[in-house]
Amino acid sequence: MSPRVHVRAARAADLPLLQPWLRPGAARALPAADARTEAWLVAAGAGDQPLACLRLRHVIGLDLPRHWYHAGWVVHAAPELGLFQRLQTLQLGNDLTGASELADIAWQPMLDRAGQARVLAPLLRGAIAMLRGGMPLPGALPLLIAELPGRRDADGRSPFWQGLGRPFHDGDPAQAAQQLGPAWRSHVAALMPRQPVYAAFLPPGAQAAIGQADPAQAVLADLLGAAGLRPDGHVTIDDGGPVLTAPLQALVPPPTPTAPPPA
Amino acid sequence: MTNDADPAGRWVLRPAQHRDLPALEALAQASAIGISSLPPDRDALRQLLALSAKAFSSDDQASGEEVYLFVLEDRARDGALVGTSGIAAAAGFHDHFYSYRNEFIVQASPALGARRRIHTLHLCHDLSGVTLLTGFHIDASLAGTLAPQLLSRGRLLFIARFAARFSDRIAAENPGLSNEQGGCPFWDAVGRRFLDLDYPAAERLGGGRSHKGWIAGLMPQSPIYVPLLPEEAQWALGQLHPVGALPFDILIDEGLDGDTYLNLFDGGPTADGRVALLKTVARRRALLAQAGAAPADPDAGWLLVDNGRQADFRATLLPGSGHALHLRAQAAAALAWQPGEPLWGARLDLPHGSADAREAG
Repeated sequence: MSPRVHVRAARAADLPLLQPWLRPGAARALPAADARTEAWLVAAGAGDQPLACLRLRHVIGLDLPRHWYHAGWVVHAAPELGLFQRLQTLQLGNDLTGASELADIAWQPMLDRAGQARVLAPLLRGAIAMLRGGMPLPGALPLLIAELPGRRDADGRSPFWQGLGRPFHDGDPAQAAQQLGPAWRSHVAALMPRQPVYAAFLPPGAQAAIGQADPAQAVLADLLGAAGLRPDGHVTIDDGGPVLTAPLQALVPPPTPTAPPPA
Repeated sequence: MTNDADPAGRWVLRPAQHRDLPALEALAQASAIGISSLPPDRDALRQLLALSAKAFSSDDQASGEEVYLFVLEDRARDGALVGTSGIAAAAGFHDHFYSYRNEFIVQASPALGARRRIHTLHLCHDLSGVTLLTGFHIDASLAGTLAPQLLSRGRLLFIARFAARFSDRIAAENPGLSNEQGGCPFWDAVGRRFLDLDYPAAERLGGGRSHKGWIAGLMPQSPIYVPLLPEEAQWALGQLHPVGALPFDILIDEGLDGDTYLNLFDGGPTADGRVALLKTVARRRALLAQAGAAPADPDAGWLLVDNGRQADFRATLLPGSGHALHLRAQAAAALAWQPGEPLWGARLDLPHGSADAREAG
């Protein structure tokens, strides 16, 4: 019998517990008390102890520009030779500006898959309820996004960054992210290629990582899918992780799985 | 005769004739990968000769599709054919002419303290319609003489004389790095990712270095970011194959620039420039020509001299300075010149290492 999980706003007293869960580049401060565009939610269990958290942003990219690659396709054909090629391209842009975002979703690292599902499902339901109850903000799109962290190699490095990021900026991404917080990707985007890049120019490992989530995100990915969010062809610029999106009206509050998901 | 023969009037540049076919065939077969634009088989060569003969004899308004094929005769070897070079009036007349253009983008992020100058390659048609200097071949034993100077620059005398038939811009492709096994670092890093053939096969499919549009259609249409290429390919960009050094150096000396455009297949430099600014074109002027021995002239250097005719175009090298030129019988014969007829000349700067070429004669 699991203890009941409830969702509430993060408090200053939670910070020592929450902050170590966050990835470099995540926002680490509590939203201002009167913030209308941002909320930091926690799912807490017995004793009001936080087990997972997420930052809900009602509208993104309007003050600090946000960048993604759109992974698209071009076809090169020479019919007289029977040559036909479908080639993947990556195009840097700000396509999802104005969307709402479920950001920096993190959980207590000791939780197993069943435990993750038990705390993340109510957390997502809480965020969706809050999103639906909010007033539309100027410049906002009726769209929700969630970025999933991309694949890493055994040394914790992103093959996507090694293939596409590093040739344009050889600084240490983790260090810059730690130092600059959420703004780091805006700053690094200024150094990235602005014209479409053919994936064929990337090393195989980087190509294979396009749009692939870190396997450690599987439970979260399934729950986001159950909530109606789908990969839409955008990937993050730092590790190529997939961006999931859903129109606000298509969101489904995800039920808490009754049986533990297979390991 | 040997290469010690007096260079004055020894070599003659003239339009290729049908009778040159066997000698041209021999030259084409002797050519290496990447340098050739002479077709390797007899029928294609015959066709090229016919096209060239038509271009040299045509009085019509130039259409741009003309090709002019020149040959170099060695009068010290009974008029043996020792070299060939050509002009295509307008690059890619029947199609687009594709090149990569080098461009640089500076991107900076003050917050990250980073600033990068990024090299990119843009697939472009900039050189479509530009006059193209083509196929330069010379008997290897003459490489150190003045013959290559005449073979290359003599074409510019013709272009200057018949400027209306040509573009006011000029370009010349030069072979990039490749090896005898068909390996080509630029092709392997760029072309092969989009057309899975080795370099010689791709070149054959592409119809030589003429860049049929369909091959370009398979190549990336957005700029190529050079930092994404393997190091070996980055290093090969715009690098000249050693076999192309002689003709390339002459064109750079003329004032062509080899830093802007690259060949689509092998990444070799495509040199380009303004016709009017080329050394030989700017220096070409009418001479006061008369028969007879030249008075002693301590200032005499070498002049590229042409007879200004179209189908009977002749150019040769003669010693001289200023506007007055004295022609002895051999020089007059080389230029098919009769007293009273006009001649034009352009001073030739002696290439490095051959400053005493005349004294050797």
